[in-house]
Amino acid sequence: MSAAKDTRDDGPRIMPFPVALHYEMPAAPAITRYGEALIDGRIIGQRCTGDCGLVYVPPRDYCPIDVIELTAADDVELGDHGTIVNFTVVTPVQYPGQEETEPFARVSIALDGPGGMLQLQDVLDTPVSEVRVGMRVAAVWRPEGERNLDELAAGGWSSTGGGIEGWMPTGEPDLDVSRLAGKGF
Amino acid sequence: MVDVAIVGYGQVPSVRCTEITETQMVLDVTQQALRMAGVDRHDIGFTVSGSCDYLAGQAFAFVQTIEAIGAWPPISESHVEMDGAWAMYEGWTRLQEGDVDLVLVYCHGRSSPGTPWQVWPLQLDPYHLAPLGLDPWSLAALQARALLDAGVASERDFAEVVARNRANAVDNEYAQVSGKFDVDALLAEPYVRNPLRRHDLPPISDGAAAVVLASRDRAAALAERPVWITGIDHRIDIHQPGMRDLTRSESTTRAAQAAGLADRPVQVAELSAPFSPQEVILRDALALDGSVEINPSGGALAANPVMVTGLVRVVEAARQVRERGRDRVLAHATAGQALQQNLVCILEGP
Amino acid sequence: MPAPLVKIDLEFPYTRSVGPVIGAYLDGLQERRLLASRAGDRTLSPPLEYDPATGAAVEPELVEVGPEGVITSWTWVAEPNPNHPLDRPFAFALIRLDGADTAMVHVVDGPESALATGARVRPRWRDERTGYVTDIECFEVTT
Repeated sequence: MSAAKDTRDDGPRIMPFPVALHYEMPAAPAITRYGEALIDGRIIGQRCTGDCGLVYVPPRDYCPIDVIELTAADDVELGDHGTIVNFTVVTPVQYPGQEETEPFARVSIALDGPGGMLQLQDVLDTPVSEVRVGMRVAAVWRPEGERNLDELAAGGWSSTGGGIEGWMPTGEPDLDVSRLAGKGF
Repeated sequence: MVDVAIVGYGQVPSVRCTEITETQMVLDVTQQALRMAGVDRHDIGFTVSGSCDYLAGQAFAFVQTIEAIGAWPPISESHVEMDGAWAMYEGWTRLQEGDVDLVLVYCHGRSSPGTPWQVWPLQLDPYHLAPLGLDPWSLAALQARALLDAGVASERDFAEVVARNRANAVDNEYAQVSGKFDVDALLAEPYVRNPLRRHDLPPISDGAAAVVLASRDRAAALAERPVWITGIDHRIDIHQPGMRDLTRSESTTRAAQAAGLADRPVQVAELSAPFSPQEVILRDALALDGSVEINPSGGALAANPVMVTGLVRVVEAARQVRERGRDRVLAHATAGQALQQNLVCILEGP
Repeated sequence: MPAPLVKIDLEFPYTRSVGPVIGAYLDGLQERRLLASRAGDRTLSPPLEYDPATGAAVEPELVEVGPEGVITSWTWVAEPNPNHPLDRPFAFALIRLDGADTAMVHVVDGPESALATGARVRPRWRDERTGYVTDIECFEVTT
């Protein structure tokens, strides 16, 4: 019995090895409080009581800069208007599970009010070419009865899915974001 | 050789399912260890952690836990996809270079979120074993039966291991499963994987642990009773279960030899035996006689936070030296299935 | 509100190249042949590319072993999970095929009372075989 050739005309011999894994875990208290507020039409963050004084959104119940525990008492209500401080335009690669086909933008938004920065947000009804740093945006909330935590609980990248559909330009003049440096992490 | 000691440690009670994040658990245990050591996180020269993304259900999951140790300004940090005991081995190795004298080691693991029968076979040979969905209970049972067939142990021996460990765990605030159990009552329980019964299997646990290592002069300055690591080594056996003698743990014996176990007897041994028959194998591999106290913590049958179990054995062994005045103790950690890979370290008081 | 449940579903369409030794083994399974590799005077089943004890490369030619073998250890799975090869109670076993010096892991059909260390078994092949270790549906105890 001779050994099979390692390669065939169409490349190396391949054996499929499909893997499917399911995980479930209760959301931590910080995310639970954040999710409750999201259903209620509010964005809450958490202010560090240590030296950095930064506002984190969503809350984590600790500060990664000062390395101290934070609690619900440190939660703060945040604005749902803000300024785009960074963005990237993603050209989608067609991998298994990919749903996007056209380039799309994901933006970081510095929220008005006490602070807080939301990452990887969607800008609605706006050509990718118009997305820019300094643009003023406002949250577009899902109708109250339609909000749910399924997307938040899916462990994906969005921290506002199921509550906020995305963000719309307000038409206000662009903001000079150099004023916002050091307000986020 | 640079002398290295454990000068601080921390752990959290192992639970069936924690309500907080792994990062929060890491914050807790690392703060405990740093406080005990009397050092600030800014004094740490190198940090190394152990965990497994497949347990957490997210690629690079371990990166988030760096938030718990303060990675700003940037720190020197490493990670192993292994039990924290191996992270400690890397930390010990780092100290041998002599340019840093304080290392923080931490580990975390949640077995509760995943579906065990999906996750565990992925640890095995992808061609010959994983496609069969060979699960850890079944593999441990094949090992147990080999022990019975060889006449090396009996089912009663397995039950006695369970009873002793669970009884020891009663006094351990960090243990998850404990209690006084009658051996005959245990033997009356049905098999889950003949010859293993439910109590012969480890609990599903979430947990975390941390240690602070210091080298020579720093250790002596920091701790009244530093816990010196006088020997540490790890070895690995053949992966294929049908190609090695499952009734013996040659890699444990060799690791112990290299760690200098034979130099002087140990008083206590904390062994990572998640399945009761494995404690029989390890006692034999380490030639531990009746004078050695085994698993005063309750061992891995009382709590098995995978990726943490081994470092918890180190912490519990260190407690024996620092808190209970023991002179020379052994801690053992295992990785892979059916005791494939084993780490032994010897800890001594001043 | 109680803590919402975070649910994550991961699917990886992994594929693995097999090389000349595993490739020949899987070809053999598809042809209802059980193959092993030779290292020195040892016959390794299942075939590995290197002798795990010495690190020596195995001979390029595989040899046929079995089809029958003997159980060297076993356990009964009363409640199979969805990843197991059979959906009825079965045994996992270490089986040393005739002619091999080592044992392979596979499954043995019941009843549980027929399982014993030392029992002789033979493979039951699937009708549709794709070059996978489960081309053997299971082993069965010979009378």
